[in-house]
Amino acid sequence: MNNFWLVAKHEYRRMVLRRAFVLTTLLIPLGMAAVIGLAILVGESTADKRPLGYVDHTHQLDPTLWQNQPDATVELRPFPDEATAQAALENGDIQAFFVLPATYPNPRQTDLYFMEEPPNGDIWGAFDDFVRLNYTRQLDPALRQQLLDGPAVIVNDLDSGRTFSSASIINIILPFFATFIFFIATMSASGYMIQVVADEKENRTMEIMLTSLSPFQLIGGKTIGLLGVALTQLGIYGLTVVVGLLAAQPFVPMLQTAVIPWAYLLIMALFFLPAFALIAGIMVAIGSIVPNLQQGQQVAGLLNFLFILPIFLLAIIIENPNAPLAVAFTLFPTTAFLTVSLRWGLGSVPLWQLGASWVILVITAVFAVWVASRIFRIGMLQYGQPLSWKTAVAALRSS
Amino acid sequence: MHTIIVSHLAKGFGAVQAVADVSFTVSPGEVFGLLGPNGAGKTTTLRLMMDIFKPDAGEIAIFGGDLTLDKKRRIGYLPEERGLYKEEKLETTLLYLAQLKGVDEKTARQRLGEWLERLDLAEQRQQKIQTLSKGMQQKAQIIATLLHDPDLIIIDEPFSGLDPVNTRLVKQIFEEQRAAGKTIIMSTHQMHQVEALCNRIVLINRGRSVLYGLVNEIKRNFAGNAIVLEGQGDFSQVPGVLDVRHHNGTWEMGLQVGTDPQAVLQQLLAQPTNRITRFELAEPSLDDIFVQVVGGRSNQ
Repeated sequence: MNNFWLVAKHEYRRMVLRRAFVLTTLLIPLGMAAVIGLAILVGESTADKRPLGYVDHTHQLDPTLWQNQPDATVELRPFPDEATAQAALENGDIQAFFVLPATYPNPRQTDLYFMEEPPNGDIWGAFDDFVRLNYTRQLDPALRQQLLDGPAVIVNDLDSGRTFSSASIINIILPFFATFIFFIATMSASGYMIQVVADEKENRTMEIMLTSLSPFQLIGGKTIGLLGVALTQLGIYGLTVVVGLLAAQPFVPMLQTAVIPWAYLLIMALFFLPAFALIAGIMVAIGSIVPNLQQGQQVAGLLNFLFILPIFLLAIIIENPNAPLAVAFTLFPTTAFLTVSLRWGLGSVPLWQLGASWVILVITAVFAVWVASRIFRIGMLQYGQPLSWKTAVAALRSS
Repeated sequence: MHTIIVSHLAKGFGAVQAVADVSFTVSPGEVFGLLGPNGAGKTTTLRLMMDIFKPDAGEIAIFGGDLTLDKKRRIGYLPEERGLYKEEKLETTLLYLAQLKGVDEKTARQRLGEWLERLDLAEQRQQKIQTLSKGMQQKAQIIATLLHDPDLIIIDEPFSGLDPVNTRLVKQIFEEQRAAGKTIIMSTHQMHQVEALCNRIVLINRGRSVLYGLVNEIKRNFAGNAIVLEGQGDFSQVPGVLDVRHHNGTWEMGLQVGTDPQAVLQQLLAQPTNRITRFELAEPSLDDIFVQVVGGRSNQ
């Protein structure tokens, strides 16, 4: 087997079999599942499930129409007058009640009565649907349903060629989720990278390795091995998400019409590889310059900030995905990956920005790996000593 | 054909000239000693030979030309800075290193079993390297150097950390390798090991080759510069004498270059308190020659 792949295989096995990797890889999805489950549990347990009352002075509302609705999630309870309804409200039997005056729908004014907290939007929506259902009951059932559903708007973005519809809501949610998953995996990989370089230095294996293979085979093999580690982590996280979505599908209507966002996945794959190479290059250079792992991690922590900056400025990007700051982050190599991921989910990224961002990222990544391999060769022989900037620059200039 | 030809090698690091002018050749079946005081340029010379550093001047030919990756597979290198993956198991690490040298896993596993048995490490094969003693780690390094059956063996302080039993065992292994026609270059400060193993040496001082040739010839050439003395009196402060050792009633004196032994004898006899019962020219040990050459030049 070629030494390049031998190093990659060895590094992959070494990292994947570590207890820290197994724990991180399994605990993060389990932790996220636990947090989501807890949030659902808390939401369910605190949701007000009491019926919503109404007083119909028009005598036009037929309660059986709502009872026959398949998606009726709240019970609507009729009351003959306001006094009875108010007594039920004060007794805690209902969470609120509406009053339709005899003149309804001229004007379309209704009154809502509640204690402490108004009912949430879903409850308001349910009563709206109930009223519409009654006033359109003379129409054909199919037409009536269409009126209730409203128009199905498909948004076409002529700049990127993308389309958005209510059915593609998952396409908007998924990038947010995937951004954080990618972020965790990439940061873990950068941590591993600096660790393997520091290990090589602290174990003083450099001379033995350099007399068996070239610096490119050593660094390239390690990078590929760690890319495999990152992809393994991503695969496990991705599988967890897919299993979670499949499990949630019967209970979440929007997931039933969800379509896999292939374009997003393809773009992220294209950006992930050079972004990973850029991180690997930077971490190798840091690991080569500093004398030990501890110092390496301190410096890496600061540089990681350059990669996760878009997360701190998430609010600005969400508010205006095409603002100059978002465009600048798209084009800047360290922030390109996360910014493109977020902007793609929120709307679209003009093709020229996408192309320019990718080209800049690739060029920077290649440069970073080139710099890293040169500094690595010299830095690894500075046992226990930091590599001075002067020596590092000299290493870059030497043939 | 020479296994190694090093010709007028030079390498500097900024203001420091680590190697100024080093030349030597080594042939198959030789154990060649690379000697010198600390900071003389030995390790840099070895690193230049192994293509870890690029020379500023001079030429290195290994197996008849430049060092390629294929040629690197024919070299076993035990560097001054010992290093193995401490958190990995002994067997895993040694198999990995052998495979990087082009040995298939099956062959490497078979050879490894034999080496572990011979160096008494078979029971530790599944242990993490960091749990092994310093001597065991040193033996593991020696296995890593030899496991791929190299034609050229370059060893820097190979007996460091070994007890006398293991030192003898490792010495025997290197003698077997020489008998098998392998080329061995050994860098060490243990002069008695050099005398026992090496047939030729080069002594480097301040980055330059200052002594080069057959061990026996070098010793013969320096014979006039050492004397053995027995008698009564204080012989510790004699002009022209570089160093003095006294044990079991015998004084061994290394003379400075240019000092006439007869003049030393006359000076000793001139002192009325001295009584000389034995005075003879001694063949100096390599240790004496090392001190004489390096010390003499340091004093210049």
